[in-house]
Amino acid sequence: MRNRKAVTAVAFAAAAALALSACGTGDDKAGSSAVADVSAAPKDKAATVLDQPFTKPNLVLTDTDGKEYDLREATQGKPTLIYFGYTNCPDVCPLTMSNISLAKRELPKADQEKLQVVFVTTDPERDTPASLGKWLSAQDPTFTGLTGDFPTIQAGARQIGIGIDAPKKEKDGTVVSMHGAQVIAFSPKTDEGYVLYGEDTSAEEYAKDLPELIKGETP
Amino acid sequence: MNRRRTALAGVLALTAGAALAGCSSDGAPDLKVVGAYLPQPVSDMAAGFLVVQNSGDAGDRLTSVTSPLSDDVTIHETKNQKMREVSSFEVPANGELDLERGGNHIMFMKLKQKPRQGEKVSVELHFEKADPIKVDLPVKETTHNPKKQ
Repeated sequence: MRNRKAVTAVAFAAAAALALSACGTGDDKAGSSAVADVSAAPKDKAATVLDQPFTKPNLVLTDTDGKEYDLREATQGKPTLIYFGYTNCPDVCPLTMSNISLAKRELPKADQEKLQVVFVTTDPERDTPASLGKWLSAQDPTFTGLTGDFPTIQAGARQIGIGIDAPKKEKDGTVVSMHGAQVIAFSPKTDEGYVLYGEDTSAEEYAKDLPELIKGETP
Repeated sequence: MNRRRTALAGVLALTAGAALAGCSSDGAPDLKVVGAYLPQPVSDMAAGFLVVQNSGDAGDRLTSVTSPLSDDVTIHETKNQKMREVSSFEVPANGELDLERGGNHIMFMKLKQKPRQGEKVSVELHFEKADPIKVDLPVKETTHNPKKQ
């Protein structure tokens, strides 16, 4: 009898706690973001170094001057960052490109000239060489912008672990495009893609790692 | 034994009462906007970010945004590297709606002029229940991305 009552009380308490936590949407959210912060804290590096690097994709596309651009040939032996995105992207794509631009400008001049930053569009239908060039040069005129046919771009992205879907037209006429999840750094020593950066990587984090990437070292 | 049971019942009733009060949707949303900004755009589109705090006991929804900067202002969510227009965003009771970089945002298309860092862009937020709120979004550098509080 006594035991049973205790159990009931516990059950009530548990139910009350559940009810409370279900109501406290704000508190829940604060709680979950705190957890996210904690789990992010031990990872003090922005870079993810790959155990098995990617071979540089054999991508031949069109640059912003309308000329043919062979990725392997143009970037051979040069430190290279590649990102897949689209210009009708108000947030993450310009954030990523501008962060890299800021970081690049902190390098010594000779290193700036070595570093190749390549932006490949995921929305070639809307991103013509001209419009892509205009968008990119507003952020950094030294960056290379590439466009071409979507299947070629998608296949190239897939070879370095970047999944992108073709832009899709919604019923209301808007186009939903997709940007790649990561920036990939290729080594000047091996020409392999060996380091990944997520979209939340800051300009400071790129600035800290670029001197290593320029030398093909592990950040 | 009997007395103890009564006391216990009292505590439970109180707890249940508090829980119910917390859940009540009889109250009204009480909204405040903080942390608003607009990164300097690099093309003829821009994104705006802010946090809507709701200290009221009732939830609300952000349904639209208007601004003199553009006649084409929409609200978007970003999921799996794709952004999609949504018809509204929840502003939970005693909670907040975060529009932050890499996630949900206000999207301004076909800008009437290109705002520069240091300027301000005014917007009006429209809600399902609460009165509209006018906010000035300071234009920050393109890479502005404040850490979460």
